[in-house]
Amino acid sequence: MMKNNVYFSYGTFVSPIGIGVDQNFEALKEGNSGIQAHPSSGFNNENWFFAQLNNLEGNRYDSLLKTALNDLKVNYSSSILSSSKTLFILSSTKGNIYNLPEDVFASSRIIIQQETGNSNELIIVSNACISGVIALNTATDFLRYSDYETVIVIGIDVISDFVLYGFQSLYALSDQPVQPFDKDRKGISLGEACGIIVATKEKPTSFSVEYLGGASSNDANHISGPSRTGEGLYRAINKTIERAAIDKSSIDFISAHGTGTLYNDEMESIAFNRCDLQSIPINSLKGFYGHTLGAAGIIETIVSMLSIEHQLLIENKGFNELGTTHSLNIVTKTQQQPVKTVLKTASGFGGGNAVLLIQAAV
Amino acid sequence: MKVLASCFLSPFAAVLNGTVKFQFQDDNWLKECYHKLMLDYPKFYKMDDLSKMAILSVELLKENAYLNNFNKDELELIFANSNASQHTDVKFIDSYTNIGNPSPSLFVYTLPNILTGELAIKHKWYGENTFLIASKFDTQLFENKLKHAQMKGAKHCLCGWVDSKVEKNGTLTQESFLFLVALNEENSTISEELEALFKKYKYLSTEKV
Repeated sequence: MMKNNVYFSYGTFVSPIGIGVDQNFEALKEGNSGIQAHPSSGFNNENWFFAQLNNLEGNRYDSLLKTALNDLKVNYSSSILSSSKTLFILSSTKGNIYNLPEDVFASSRIIIQQETGNSNELIIVSNACISGVIALNTATDFLRYSDYETVIVIGIDVISDFVLYGFQSLYALSDQPVQPFDKDRKGISLGEACGIIVATKEKPTSFSVEYLGGASSNDANHISGPSRTGEGLYRAINKTIERAAIDKSSIDFISAHGTGTLYNDEMESIAFNRCDLQSIPINSLKGFYGHTLGAAGIIETIVSMLSIEHQLLIENKGFNELGTTHSLNIVTKTQQQPVKTVLKTASGFGGGNAVLLIQAAV
Repeated sequence: MKVLASCFLSPFAAVLNGTVKFQFQDDNWLKECYHKLMLDYPKFYKMDDLSKMAILSVELLKENAYLNNFNKDELELIFANSNASQHTDVKFIDSYTNIGNPSPSLFVYTLPNILTGELAIKHKWYGENTFLIASKFDTQLFENKLKHAQMKGAKHCLCGWVDSKVEKNGTLTQESFLFLVALNEENSTISEELEALFKKYKYLSTEKV
């Protein structure tokens, strides 16, 4: 099968530790986490930790989306953004959740059209925590098999009482900042962010990575608990490697999901071992950004791109001692290292798992 | 690509491959449909309406399509709707604003792709899954996704438009349209056929006065 090349370049990245990709990279290098204590934030006034943006006015979702699009417009011309050959894909679990019970996705369609002048129908992926990786895989399909030149993928979710109380009701929140893969991990810290990746058929003049392949698979096991055998993640990784047609020994780094719950991180360790990837350096970025749900796959891919560009692996913040039954090679401190090929994984509610592979563009 | 089988559920009727299979009398039409299909799957009662509609639709489709013959990795699921999980979202908000505590059993259904998870669990389908949101039933979106699946080597896709919306006065708007597509046929377009089926089934399953 003929595979047309697809390249990812930075759109923008708005998070509690930075506005724009550069600021985020500086914060990561300095080890600054966006996770803070929020007294009385819980349903019964518990003190939860999460990574929240503090400069959003009015409707916080709309404000974040506009902030990100304004930054995107600094680097991309209106002729590209508004082109009929440019498609926008939105990855979000809850959209403009503050608008419930009215349509939570209506404002995204209007804002993206108004800010960019693009009149193609917005594609919206809402596939729980794997939305971001699914959206990037879908973007590549649209470039390879449909008639588009550029696909702009926006990952976004905001923190709300709805989502905070929901995870609280599942006893899934940590009462300390999240510690992915650690033996003392107690659960997730939520986060909010918006990340944008620009996917193109043409190799851009700015820094880019090449997309090698991607896949998804369902655990077919439980809607809110991960598989005990890592079945879906195992299958999605294998299918991705097969589609990318690479030898798995060429993978230099794994950007894992690593939510910091007991069961999720354990499941990932099982899947990575079943795939024989346990010795490859791996991290979770949840200790910096918290779990940003529909944005996670996008922002974590952006940081993987930064790792390739700067040959720098970012520490798995919050980690002291391995707490999974199967071994993993956790990145314990930020360090220079040759990084050419990165595997990005995500797993989520509904039993979904999605994976993609990127490589330094030549 | 070719539609091998299709079905439509509304609160008034179930349509299978162009024929009205059942008409519903009960206000709890999902339960009535469950009994009419003689389904024995107790988990059904714990599900939200989106998952119930999807489960019932597949049972209906199975009567005429060889859905059991697929290998576990073979069948790709492409689902979409317009209102995401709005119906359950409203119930979950009610659980912590009016009833007293955020309900974990409601919260886990506040994502639309839970319905594809429920289908995967019941039928042991490990294949690719996508859930998309579109402002209305969008045949072009399905055609694009089917074309992508075909180009990546998939042979069959189970597609669905499963939507449930609750109005402020409690009125529900619900519909579930599922279609099984074979990708190895020569025809490269399917949107006109889907548009025609959707309209026809919607008409057949409307309340008869």
